[in-house]
Amino acid sequence: MRTTGKRSIVLYIALFIFVGGLAWFFVSLYMNGSMWAMQPYNRHISLTAMGKITDRNGNILAESKEGARVYSESEDVRKALLHTIGDNNGSIGTSVQATMHSKLSGYNFITGSSKTMFNSFGNDIKLTIDTDVSLAAYYALGSHRGAAIMYNYKTGDILAKVSQPTFDPSNPPEDILENDYYKGAYVDRVLSSSFTPGSIFKIVTLAAAMDKWPDSWAEKEFTCEGSVMIGGAEITCMGVHGVQNAQQALGNSCNVYFSQLAVEIGADALQKKAVELGFNKTLSFQGIDTAKSSVDLTQADSHNLGWSGIGQYTDLANPYHMMTLMGAIATDGSYVQPKLTNSMDLLGSLNAGSNRYMNSQQAEQLRTAMRTVVSDYYGDSFFPADMQISAKTGTAEVGSDEGDTCWIVGFSNNPNTPYAFAVVVEEGESALQTAGSVAVEMLQAAISE
Amino acid sequence: MGEIKEMLVNMIQTGVLPVVLLIVRLIVPVLTFYVVWRSYTSFRKGQRRRSPVIMLADHNAKVKFPILYWENSIGRSKSCDVVLEADQLVSRDHAVLMRREEGWLVCDTGSKTGVFVNGKKVEDKKRVEVGDDITIGATTLTLLRSDKSEEQKRRMFRGFSREAASPAKLMFVATLVHLLMTLQMSLAGGQFSVTPFIPFLMTTVIGWSLYIYIIGIQKRVNFEIETVAYLLSGIGILLMSSYDETLHTSYVQIAAMVIGIVILNFLIWFMGDLERVEKFKMAIGIGAIVLFILNLVLGRTVNGSRNWIFIGSFSIQPSEFIKIAFIFFGASTLDKLQTEKNITQFLIFSGICMAFLFIMKDFGTALIFFAAFLIIAFMRSGSIRTIILVIAAALIGIVLILRFKPHVANRFESWGHIWEAGIRDDGGFQQTRMLTYLASGGLLGVGLGEGYFAGKGDIGPIFAAENDLVFGFLCEEQGLLLGLVIVIAIAMFTLYARSDVTRSRSTFFSIVSCAAAGLLLFQASLNVFGATDIIPFTGVTLPFISAGGSSMMSVWGMLAFLKAADERTYAVRRQTRKQAREEEKTRIEREEEAIKQKIRQGKEQATREQEWFVQGQVRG
Repeated sequence: MRTTGKRSIVLYIALFIFVGGLAWFFVSLYMNGSMWAMQPYNRHISLTAMGKITDRNGNILAESKEGARVYSESEDVRKALLHTIGDNNGSIGTSVQATMHSKLSGYNFITGSSKTMFNSFGNDIKLTIDTDVSLAAYYALGSHRGAAIMYNYKTGDILAKVSQPTFDPSNPPEDILENDYYKGAYVDRVLSSSFTPGSIFKIVTLAAAMDKWPDSWAEKEFTCEGSVMIGGAEITCMGVHGVQNAQQALGNSCNVYFSQLAVEIGADALQKKAVELGFNKTLSFQGIDTAKSSVDLTQADSHNLGWSGIGQYTDLANPYHMMTLMGAIATDGSYVQPKLTNSMDLLGSLNAGSNRYMNSQQAEQLRTAMRTVVSDYYGDSFFPADMQISAKTGTAEVGSDEGDTCWIVGFSNNPNTPYAFAVVVEEGESALQTAGSVAVEMLQAAISE
Repeated sequence: MGEIKEMLVNMIQTGVLPVVLLIVRLIVPVLTFYVVWRSYTSFRKGQRRRSPVIMLADHNAKVKFPILYWENSIGRSKSCDVVLEADQLVSRDHAVLMRREEGWLVCDTGSKTGVFVNGKKVEDKKRVEVGDDITIGATTLTLLRSDKSEEQKRRMFRGFSREAASPAKLMFVATLVHLLMTLQMSLAGGQFSVTPFIPFLMTTVIGWSLYIYIIGIQKRVNFEIETVAYLLSGIGILLMSSYDETLHTSYVQIAAMVIGIVILNFLIWFMGDLERVEKFKMAIGIGAIVLFILNLVLGRTVNGSRNWIFIGSFSIQPSEFIKIAFIFFGASTLDKLQTEKNITQFLIFSGICMAFLFIMKDFGTALIFFAAFLIIAFMRSGSIRTIILVIAAALIGIVLILRFKPHVANRFESWGHIWEAGIRDDGGFQQTRMLTYLASGGLLGVGLGEGYFAGKGDIGPIFAAENDLVFGFLCEEQGLLLGLVIVIAIAMFTLYARSDVTRSRSTFFSIVSCAAAGLLLFQASLNVFGATDIIPFTGVTLPFISAGGSSMMSVWGMLAFLKAADERTYAVRRQTRKQAREEEKTRIEREEEAIKQKIRQGKEQATREQEWFVQGQVRG
C-alpha cells in the first residue's frame, strides 16, 4: 500500500494545477474586472445611476437625476463639451463617460456594482475643464470645423478641449448620420484626428537645424525670390523676402528658406528629429491612445523633402500632441502630462514614460525665437496684455477644391498665465485671424476669472 | 466636511438594509470557510496514528518488519511494503499480507516458489495468527504482536487547533450559513417574504436527520465529509430559490439530496464487505454498459447531447450514475492487483464507456471519465509510459472531435477571444455574460435574488445559468469569495483522500477515494475554468451547486468512496467525551509507565535492542 500511497501524489499535481488556475482567474479579474463589468448589456449599470461630472469651478456638466442622465443647462456648454463629457449612447469613445465609466458607475473590485453606499460614494468626477474657456473656444470656432485645446503647462490641467462639428447630447439631431454637417461629429478631433500642419512644422525643421549646426544655425542664410527650384520642381513662397536668417525666416514664415534648410538637414536627420519631438508615436492620455502626428520621409525625394520641411507633403499633426510640444518648449524641453481629472491614476502615471522632447537649451532657443515671432511680426497687441506670447501660425494646403487648414500653436511666457494651446480650423481665411482669434478668446477667458 | 455630509445623506438614502445585507454576505463565506477548514482539521485529528499493529520477524537475519497497513505486499521488488531483497527465491511481488474481518490473511499472488504457513503450502489465501511462521522463498517470517513501546511517528501537521471540533457545532454553523442566505432571499427587493424559508427548513431537517442517523444510531465518530456536503448542497439549494421563484428547482435538488444520502449510506454499507464488492464487481461493470445501451435506446437529445432518459415527467442522466460504477470497476484490492498485473480489462471497459459517451456527444462527461481513468490507471500500474500513451491517444481523439464536431470547434475558436467584436455577442455570448455579471458581483455579491445573470423580474436568465454557468450566478449574487470557498471545499476532498490513502482498509478504497476526489476536483475545474474562458470547455455541472438531480445524487454517492476509505467509518464507534477523556488519560499513564519501566530495565536491555534492530534494515 506504500506504493499506492506514493502514486496518489497525482492528486497533488491536479490540486496544484487547480490552485494555479484559480490564481490566474483571480488576477485576470483584478486586472480586467472593470472592463468585464462595463459592458453595454450589463443590467447593473446604467447612465441613470452614475456619478456627477463637474468642471473645475463646480458647475455641473452631467448628472443622473430622476432616472435620467442630464447635462449642463446651457445648450452651448453641452455642445462645447460634448466630446469631453460624452453622450447617452456612448458614441464618443474618448469621452469621460466612456473612459471613466467604471468610476462613474461606482464599480470597484470589492463590491462590484452592487448598490450600496460604498459604490455610490466617490463616483463623482471633478474635471480640470473651465467651462468659460471652453465656451470661448466654442464661440470663436463658430461654424468652422476644427479643434482647440489649452492647458496649464505647469500643472497639466486642461482648461478647454473643444471639437467641431458637435451636437447637443440632450437633443441629438435625427439626421446625424445623413447630414454632411455632422460628418465626424462622433470624433474628438483634438485627440483622434491629425491635420496637415503647414508652417507650424517649421518649428520642427528649425529644431533639426539647431541639432545639425548648434553654433551657426542662427546665422544660416538663404535668399528668397518668391520661389525656388528643388529637385526639378518649384516651391513657392507667400512673398519675396530677400536675404533671410533663421529668425527672420520664422517670422516671415518663409517657405523658400525652410524648404532649402530641410534639404540641407537631410531626410534622415529631419525624420529623426521629428520622432524625438513625438511624431510617429501614439501618446497616451487618460488611458486613450491619441492619433499620431506623422512624418514619413523614407520615400521622399529632395522636392518632397523641401515640402515636408514646411509642413506639407505627407506631414500630419495632432492638436493634442502639438499642445504638449508647446508645453515642452515653454518649460525645459519636457512636458507635464496633461490631465482632465485630479484623481490619482497609478497605472496612467506609470505608463506615461518620458515626456522629454528636447534639452532645455534648445527649448529656450525655440522659446525665444517664437517669442520674437509674436513681438516683431504678429504684434503683442493681438494677444491679451502682458501675456508675452510665443507662437507660430500655419496655413496648410490640403487640396485644390478645399480651403486651407489654419493653425496656431503657442504659449504664454508670463509665469502667472502658464497656458499652452493648439488650435486648428479647417477652411479658414487666415491663420492668425481664424485660428489666432480662437486662441486669443481662450486666453482672454482664462484670465478674466 | 462636504464629503462627509454627502456620505451621510447617501447612507440614509440607500438605507441601512443594503449595508446590513452586505455584511451578511461577508459573514457567509467566512463561516463557510470555517466549516470547511475545521471539518478537514477535525478529520485529520481523528485519524489513527501510524503505528504498527503486528510485525514480521526474520529470526535468521534478526530483522523485524513493522506491518503498517491493512494490505501489505511482500516481495523482492523495492516497491513492496516488506522487501526481501537478498533472497533470490522470492518473486518480485510474492505475497500479500492483509487484514480482513476474520483476521490476518496471507495470499500468494502468483509467486514461483509459493507461500508456506507453518510448512504447509498456501493455495490462494490462508489465515495466519500471531506466532505462525510464513515461509516465502528461503525466508521464514514469524508473525508477532508489535512492541507497544516503539516510538510513534508524530504527525507533522495538526491544523491550527489541537482539539477536533464537535460535529454538532460544525453542523450548527453550516445551518447558520443557510439561514443567512435564506434571510437575504426573504428580504430581496426590499420586501419580506416567507417562502424562502421552506427550502431552508427542508434542508435543515434533512441535514440534521442524517446527523442523528450517523452519530446517534450508527454511532460513528466521523461526520466531516457529510457536514461539508450538507453545507454545499444547502448553498446550492438556496441559490436555486433565487433562480426559480416557484421553488420547483430547489425542491428537485432537495429530493435529489435525499436520494443521494440514501445512495451514500447504501454504498457505505455495500463496501463494508470486500468479498461482496469483489463478487459484484463484474456485475456492476456489465450493469454500467447496460445502462449506457438503455440510454442510447431510450435517450433523448437535450442541447446536443443524447444523455437523458425521460420516465414520465422525471428525467435522469444515466452517465452521472455510471461514474460511480466506473470507479467501482476500476479499483482492486492489493492481492488482485498483484495477481492481474495489467490493466487490460479496465482499459477495455474504459474504452467502451468512452465510445458510448462519444456516440451520445457528451464530451464533457467523457473528459471527466478520462480524468478518473488516468488517476485509477496510474494508481494501479504506476506506469508513466502507459499514461503518456493514453494521453497521446486522447489528444488524437480531441483533434478528431474538433474536425467532425463543429460546435466543439467553435468553442475552441472563440477561446481567448471572447471580448472581440463579433465574438462577444455570438460565440462568446455565454462566457462574456458570465464574466460581466461575475465582475459586477465583486467579492461580496449583489445579494441573493438581486442578480440579472440568472434572471430577475421580467428579464430571463442567461442560458445554462443554473447549471453549467452556475459559478457566475453564484459569484454575482453571493460574491467571488463564497465562490472560491466552495470550489476550494470541493478541491479539498483530494486532501481527505490523500491522507486516507495508506490508512484505508484496502488498496481498493485508496484507489476509489482518490479517483472520486480527483473526479470531483476535475469536474469543478472544468466547470469554473470552462465558463471563465480559461480553458475551451463548457457543459459540466459544478458538484453540489449546479441544478440537476442526477448530478446531486451522483455527487453524494461519490462521497461513499471517501467515507469507505476512512477506516473509522467501519471500525470505531463513538464514545462519550468523558470516556474519550478517560481513555486518553489512561493511555498517557500507560505510556509514562512504559517509559519508566524502560529506564528501570537499564543499559543491558538497551544494548540487546541495539543488536536486534540493525540500523537501516527496519522498514516502515
